[in-house]
Amino acid sequence: MKLLVKDVIKSFATGDRVVDTLDNVNLKVEKGEFVTIVGPSGCGKSTLLSIIAGLEKPTDGKIYVDGREVAGPGPDRLVMFQESALFPWLNVLQNVEFGLKVSGVDKRSRREIARHYLKMVYLSRFESAYIHQLSGGMKQRVALARALALNPDILLMDEPFAALDSQTRSLLHAELETIWEETGKTIVFVTHNVEEAVTLADRVITFSARPGRIKKEFHIQLPRPRNIETPDLGRAINRVMEELKTEVEKVVKEELDSDWAVEESALLYSNNCRMGSGL
Amino acid sequence: MKKALFFILIIAGWEAVSRTGIWADYLFPSPFSVLATLFNGFKDGTFTIAIIASLKRIFKGYLLSLAVGVPMGLLIGRVKFFSETVGSLILGLQTLPSICWLPLSILWFGLNEKAIIFIVVIGAIFSISLSTEAGVRNISPLYLRAAQTMGARGWRIYLEVIIPGALPSIITGMKLAWSFAWRSLMAGELLSSGVGLGQVLMVGRDLADMKQVVAVMLIIAILGLTIDRLIFRLLEGQVQQKWGLARL
Repeated sequence: MKLLVKDVIKSFATGDRVVDTLDNVNLKVEKGEFVTIVGPSGCGKSTLLSIIAGLEKPTDGKIYVDGREVAGPGPDRLVMFQESALFPWLNVLQNVEFGLKVSGVDKRSRREIARHYLKMVYLSRFESAYIHQLSGGMKQRVALARALALNPDILLMDEPFAALDSQTRSLLHAELETIWEETGKTIVFVTHNVEEAVTLADRVITFSARPGRIKKEFHIQLPRPRNIETPDLGRAINRVMEELKTEVEKVVKEELDSDWAVEESALLYSNNCRMGSGL
Repeated sequence: MKKALFFILIIAGWEAVSRTGIWADYLFPSPFSVLATLFNGFKDGTFTIAIIASLKRIFKGYLLSLAVGVPMGLLIGRVKFFSETVGSLILGLQTLPSICWLPLSILWFGLNEKAIIFIVVIGAIFSISLSTEAGVRNISPLYLRAAQTMGARGWRIYLEVIIPGALPSIITGMKLAWSFAWRSLMAGELLSSGVGLGQVLMVGRDLADMKQVVAVMLIIAILGLTIDRLIFRLLEGQVQQKWGLARL
């Protein structure tokens, strides 16, 4: 077992009210497994990822990686964020080198490693470009290269492709799949896009909202590379979607006027499967 | 081209006014007599010596205010205790023109070099601190989180993320501070003593030699402008190119 999330509770105090973002979350992830966590916006899935990364402390509970307790952020668990979080004062190559530089790798070898991973994401030509010159998809490619360059055991991905157009996104899905198979990383991928979650994962974990807890697990045992057109995948997507429907309604009901009601199987089954995040 | 024409017109107007004789020549010198004064001043070394002395002072004072101001801004921007104490003090001090410190400065350091440098430092330091602070505060927390997950800790975060991230704002502050420093220096030199451009200007006043006063005024303006163009435009241009900000 690579990663163990044990009895994690996270609550925030907002004013005089305490909001339970995460309520007793337990999760085991095996080495090399691709796990996606899917749930409505604001269900605490990103908070869980931050806690695994060590960027936030849980109110209670512990995280173990290889049996050792996680005390803070570290390069063994790299995070890829929704916005690329690339540094605008560095060029592409320097961005990919950043982690290696911080960990004291000498200039020549870190350059070599960075070039290797830039090649893996097909951006060798842009190594001296600045970040503002890249498109959204290119930025996420650089961010992926930057994460891979540190050779982390676990890759934590926080809706990394959410801001991209759908063509770019499916291209990156395919490439991520390939890279994952080549490198054997353990990936925990958070998204609100069910289609994305099911296409990528070995295991999909659905999250319920307020308090955030794990609702159900789906093992997706379908051959790779996966094609969104195959009926098996479509059925799997529908199963997960059905499970999440009530959760999305719950969140939306809290946000909208009380006379709002979901039209049976209409809204949530539209093609983009965004689960009401844009409502 | 437009610029050149504009300045030629100004000089022509200046010459025309001096020829009308509204003011006597010693009160309103013609551009040519100022040019002659400039030429003679550089020839006998008066201006050169004064320029070097003034530049030395301002660089000393300016570098000192950078060396203190940037760390101070970092502290105010990052540590709550400092922002609540030193931060509010600085905001108050910045509204005070630095020349107001001259009486105290002369008493503390004596009628010398140090007193003027102190005025320059006081003039420049607060705008550097405040802009550094603003830069630090505006860094996206995402950058810090990303750097942390990549294993950056402590001083490395400052060196590799916070300072480069705040740099555009710091440079803006440096530019502003340069003009503050330049003004403070001239005020200090006018009112204090020692060799320098301000002193040459005052000598011109004492001798009722307006040619010299205007010549020094020109030198001061051109020097300040040149350094702004040479150093700060260059720095700004580089940052804008990297960050993809529009050229101002």
